[in-house]
Amino acid sequence: MRSQTSAGLTQYSPENMVPFGPVHPALKEPEYFKLILEGEKIVEVIPRIGYAHRGIERAAQDRTWIKNVYLFERICGICSFAHSLAYAQAVESILQFEVPKRARYIRLIVAELERIHSHFLWLGLVGYWTGFDTLFMWIWRDREHVLDLIETITGNRIHKSYATISGVRRDLPDNIIEPIRREMKYIDERARYYKDLVGSEETLLARTRGIGRINSDTARKLCPVGPLLRCTGIASDVRIDDPYAGYDEIVPEIKTSREGDVASLLALRTEEVRESARLVLEAMEKIPAGSVKLNTPRSVPKGEAMFHIEAPRGELFYFVRSPGGTVPERVKIRTPTMANLLTATAMLKGQTLADVPVVLTGMDPCFGCMDRVTIFDVDKSREWSVRGEELRQFGINYYGNGKKH
Amino acid sequence: MNALDLAEILLFPGLTFFVWLAFVFDWLDRKTAARMQGRIGPLVAGPNGILQPVADFFKLVSKEEIIPEYADKLVFEWGPPLFFAAPAVGTIFIPVIGLSAIVSDPYDLLFILFVLAFSTLMAGMLGYGSAGRYATIAIGRLIVQYAGFEVPLLISLITPAVLARSLSVSGIVAAQNSSGLWYVFLAPLSFAIFIIASLAELEKAPFDIPSAKTEIVAGWMTEFSGRSLGYVKLTKNLSYVFLSALAASLFLGGSSGPMLTHIVLLQNIVYLIYFLLKLFVIGLVIFAIKTALARIRIEQATRLFWTILTPLALIQLGIVLVLR
Repeated sequence: MRSQTSAGLTQYSPENMVPFGPVHPALKEPEYFKLILEGEKIVEVIPRIGYAHRGIERAAQDRTWIKNVYLFERICGICSFAHSLAYAQAVESILQFEVPKRARYIRLIVAELERIHSHFLWLGLVGYWTGFDTLFMWIWRDREHVLDLIETITGNRIHKSYATISGVRRDLPDNIIEPIRREMKYIDERARYYKDLVGSEETLLARTRGIGRINSDTARKLCPVGPLLRCTGIASDVRIDDPYAGYDEIVPEIKTSREGDVASLLALRTEEVRESARLVLEAMEKIPAGSVKLNTPRSVPKGEAMFHIEAPRGELFYFVRSPGGTVPERVKIRTPTMANLLTATAMLKGQTLADVPVVLTGMDPCFGCMDRVTIFDVDKSREWSVRGEELRQFGINYYGNGKKH
Repeated sequence: MNALDLAEILLFPGLTFFVWLAFVFDWLDRKTAARMQGRIGPLVAGPNGILQPVADFFKLVSKEEIIPEYADKLVFEWGPPLFFAAPAVGTIFIPVIGLSAIVSDPYDLLFILFVLAFSTLMAGMLGYGSAGRYATIAIGRLIVQYAGFEVPLLISLITPAVLARSLSVSGIVAAQNSSGLWYVFLAPLSFAIFIIASLAELEKAPFDIPSAKTEIVAGWMTEFSGRSLGYVKLTKNLSYVFLSALAASLFLGGSSGPMLTHIVLLQNIVYLIYFLLKLFVIGLVIFAIKTALARIRIEQATRLFWTILTPLALIQLGIVLVLR
């Protein structure tokens, strides 16, 4: 089954290799994982990324500053607002704009609504992946409430086209406070119910408790972001560490958990949904009057800026360099999934095949976001495409040739 | 065998009747799951979508069948009819329009045990015959799961036989009719274990491990398409009906009940109504359980069967042996 080559590498016979993707019912986006099995147990995971590469960073270099807002929104179909927000704020810091306070509050509200919708989507998918279709159907029905609210505010459910450089594109509609209060109360109730459900439903617990467990030491080494980091007990959240939008005044409370397994991720995300609902309500109470955007110049002065925000999946980086003109010279993005991939691979080892979908989803993967990044990331340093074998080699070297773990 | 016997076996209350029930069960299953999940379910084909399973079956049967290059052609082509035969033959031992089944033998319960084992064996052969990677893993899981649920299933099946002092399904139904006491009250644990083991035999949640769609695509059915897939799916639904009918007969008195009339034809109808009522009650219990639970892992399922359900089934059998 396993043999050692002269180079000390472990070789696996192809019969034990189960392909997971690029087309697989558990993956909504094309991505390929080679799983080496011993019986049902996974001994090695070889990710092969790049299937959803779309060349967005290159496309950005041909578009004007304002057009790029809508381009970057297309990176992700779930956290689209987070992408446009991070980009807009990076450009604002080159321009040295002071965004109107009302716009900053509105950005916070929409960002938090998006977090609720993203977390609910993920919770539902975990239900689906553990064969618990009822949970999936229920949560996705509740997610519609948030999507309707987002549509009322921004005019669209998914690709909101709402953030713009120097503010948001339109003010909140009149009489929005009542629907927001009503829906946030509902969401809070449902999130509390789901927290009880994921903590008490035995068959679900059997599939999630103790699965894909990582501790904070491993997390520090592999640098995951977002809920994957917080579930190991490390309180890290860009919204508090480096406040943007309205988070300096509406301060969120960091939710953490110590378990570091998928069950704790479930509970943690329901907690975060409740916290987001509270933030939206607080922001609605305190929102000041005023304009929501400034006049934006067509060209941006020479300079560069980096901005990071807390997307629903974790820390999202944008680096923008302006040559002084109407188009950016370079935009570099690092999405949370890229940061979480190594951790997820580490989480998978030692689990059974049945746990693969659950653990892989545990990080809330968004391969569409990630793939564009990877290719450019490696292009910058050397000319090579990411092959599974090399990533595996990288992984082996990273782990000290498999001796440490 | 005269023409009437043949008509009974092939038409009513034999094969055609049970295949019709299989379609109704599929529809009820989908409808119940949809309602529990806040959806609508099948709606278009027939009133309330009741013809949807029939439409699905004929759609599959009329589609192109792709046989994998490395598949064992003999098993792949002739397996589905044999697989279908297992529950189809089993159903003729179930009393429907009377207290006695179409075919009744003093030892037919033993034959039913063989049918249950043969059904799993055929699933295993079909999976291996298709030579797919997902199927290979699924068959490993199927056999492990079978090794888990087989023993508690057998013990819980034997308990009513011990109570009725009969090894025939018709005999057990008749015994419940004459004593007026259903065995679900005398052996509730056996009934519960039989339902749980049936879920495992039928590969329904929480034991849909061999066909877990998010892990191994469609399990051992992955490589099947067209005609063979249609028959495999129909067989799974027929097994659904068969096991529910078996549970209804062994534990709920099957077609027995207070007789309201002396006219023979009307008596048959009353028996049929009792049978269908009990069958659908069992069916609804299974639908509700499978919709409300998540899938567990294979070693958890095996642990459940070996360490909890087998001892419980033995305890119930012991109690019954002492009490009878």
